[in-house]
Amino acid sequence: MNRREALSRVALLMGGTLSAPTLMAFGEGAAMPPTAGAAFSFTPAQQALVAEVAEHIIPRTSTPGAKDAGVGPFIELMLKDCYKAQEQQNFLDGLADLDAKATKAHGKKFMETTSAEQVEILKQVEKETTELMKNANVQQVKVGDNVDKEVVDSKKLKGTPFWRLAKELTLFGYFTSEQGATKALDYVPIPGRYDGCIPLKKGQKAYAL
Amino acid sequence: MYLNIDAQKEMTYDAIVVGSGISGGWAAKELTEKGLRVLCLERGRDVKHVEGYETAMKAPWELAHRGRPDNQSAEEYWAGIRTGYTVNEEHRYLFENDSKNPYLETRPFDWIRAYHTGGRSLLWGRQSYRWNEEDFMANAKEGISIDWPIRYKDLAPWYDYVERFAGISGSKDGLDVLPDGQFQPAMELNCLEKHVKSEVMRKMGRTLTIGRVAHLTKPQSIHTALGRAACQYRNMCMRGCPFGAYFSTQAATLPAAMKTKRLTLANNKIVSEVLYDEKKGRATGVRTIDQNTLEVKDYYAKIIFLNASAIPSASILMNSKSSRFPNGLGNESDQLGRNIMDHHLGVGASGTYDGFEDQYYFGRRANGVYIPRYRNWGKDKRDYVRGFGYQGGASRSSWGRGVGMEGFGAAFKEEMTEVGGWNMGIGGFGEVLPNENNRFTLHPTKKDKWGMPLVVFDAGYGENERKMRIDMKNDAAEMLEAAGFKNINAYDNTKSNLGIGIHEMGTARMGKDPKTSVLNAHNQVHACKNIFMTDGAAMTSASCVNPSLTYMALTARAAAFAVDELKKKNL
Repeated sequence: MNRREALSRVALLMGGTLSAPTLMAFGEGAAMPPTAGAAFSFTPAQQALVAEVAEHIIPRTSTPGAKDAGVGPFIELMLKDCYKAQEQQNFLDGLADLDAKATKAHGKKFMETTSAEQVEILKQVEKETTELMKNANVQQVKVGDNVDKEVVDSKKLKGTPFWRLAKELTLFGYFTSEQGATKALDYVPIPGRYDGCIPLKKGQKAYAL
Repeated sequence: MYLNIDAQKEMTYDAIVVGSGISGGWAAKELTEKGLRVLCLERGRDVKHVEGYETAMKAPWELAHRGRPDNQSAEEYWAGIRTGYTVNEEHRYLFENDSKNPYLETRPFDWIRAYHTGGRSLLWGRQSYRWNEEDFMANAKEGISIDWPIRYKDLAPWYDYVERFAGISGSKDGLDVLPDGQFQPAMELNCLEKHVKSEVMRKMGRTLTIGRVAHLTKPQSIHTALGRAACQYRNMCMRGCPFGAYFSTQAATLPAAMKTKRLTLANNKIVSEVLYDEKKGRATGVRTIDQNTLEVKDYYAKIIFLNASAIPSASILMNSKSSRFPNGLGNESDQLGRNIMDHHLGVGASGTYDGFEDQYYFGRRANGVYIPRYRNWGKDKRDYVRGFGYQGGASRSSWGRGVGMEGFGAAFKEEMTEVGGWNMGIGGFGEVLPNENNRFTLHPTKKDKWGMPLVVFDAGYGENERKMRIDMKNDAAEMLEAAGFKNINAYDNTKSNLGIGIHEMGTARMGKDPKTSVLNAHNQVHACKNIFMTDGAAMTSASCVNPSLTYMALTARAAAFAVDELKKKNL
């Protein structure tokens, strides 16, 4: 059985040959707490907050946005079923941090601030995340033709940070949703042929698969 | 055990084929087409062509986790999860749950299984290459392991035969290292791959060609008669192909065998042992355990083809003990279970390319590029023996690139919908040498739920493989560099285990001498001539090319020989 094709299937599902890491790997001996499993869920307030953050990442424009595509509930489902307790906790901590930052700057919760204020807070979170990952010596390591891993110093970073989880799951959830795949991208379920070398048409969207 | 004669007659066939995967399907087809009444025993459930492909037509959003493995599956498929893709949601249902089918590891081994009609023929990468003349002679020339009892010329007509029927698309490149075959029209390289092809040839004298893959690109009547159609370029092959475009048991050999009306397919039958008659000095049948009801049933035949895949085929013989064969049927050489080979991978390079921004492609080609072996070939000499090839491909990136990028919002979203830059990856496929200390055994006391002893693996890479990996990594980076790539990332996943290539081979090797091998030149067990093995177990060395096409050719050849011998009353 051939790995290449199968690995590229993973990559295709993830949005083409990945130039971005898909998995976080932690240093030797890093004990990951077991999954919290079925116990994980958002409160209604957290659900609204997650949907709002996702909409900031992928807003509705001439094409549907993250809320239209149901990205919020998708993130909750993915965290519950596919992530470990550490990532689940990071995500919850990240949501609490958004409210803490909003309260500190504006004296109210994140959801009560203006959209412009929210963007500023998220920019700050993104900046902090970049620093956090830099300090943990994040190294991108190839593990297969189309699969990358990020290796970090696990003493300095416990699990994937909130913002990276939010962004990856929003992009993944949106571009593999019916709304995102068919309206924001070019979805061709049965191409029927392969043309290896054709001019890129003006306005051509990337393929959904 | 109570057996009345009528019942025994009912359970008697001309031939029994154990396993319905790539080689089992071929055995069933060839033997039935030559007039034999054949019973094909499959240990798993029946997966029917098209209707059994549960996820084949599903859109990404119809999969709850959009394809990703969930925590529970990752736990249950504890071996499968090591591959990084077999436990994905869209095709997990065709792979085996490792918790229900446990095995043991003295040294880690990634054993990836698919127990159902068609087996891994539904799941293979479909890369189909002939071995070259050197592949059959290298052991003898280098004094490694034992010599093959056959040569390329023995298999060449059978390669022709199986290629025409299976439908292998590819280009004729005229290379000794990669002999040409009977090809369907080749799939196209994309424009970056064409560029790399010309650059590595011009600067390094190395060939890059389109993968030779078991997909119909221009079906002939031999294919359409079985309901097979051309590839639709969905690249969802591992879900099962509703078009029958790629070669699988379901699409090709099973319908051909069924047409003869001489095939009986029995599902859920785990073969526990081969029944041996000491007086006659031959195998008389097999014992089965129903995987659901645990009912034990014996079946009888004149000849038996073991095609359960390398490890189970050898296990069945190990488990077949008699006073004549106290260490397992045909195991007088003590080679049963030894010499486990695979292809080693997880090493290569990738990079980005600036240019061809105005070029794209259409369709999802279920295939990649192939760079045939050039090391230790011709005048090239290295500090290791044998060689490796590369498989890979070029594509333009999509929204996946956004995960590691900064930014969010409307402009970011717009950018993510646009076609990203070009990149390309090539991963090495290296030959693993036969080594009799790479082996599996059956655990003396631990058993599975069917009472079968657990397989214990004790196999790993050797010094030759480790040396080869240095070239596999560096050469990949050099070729991409020569072709003008940037951000080149050369990798070597040193933690990868044997087994990850899913090309288990060698556990009942062919050879000239019964003292050092299990099978003869016709894939017969030396000491019991009416048992044939033509799956990966038979391999004496591993080559660096994918092995399935060779299993097909060996099977067709052995089946013709077996029927001939039956007619001559030699079996």
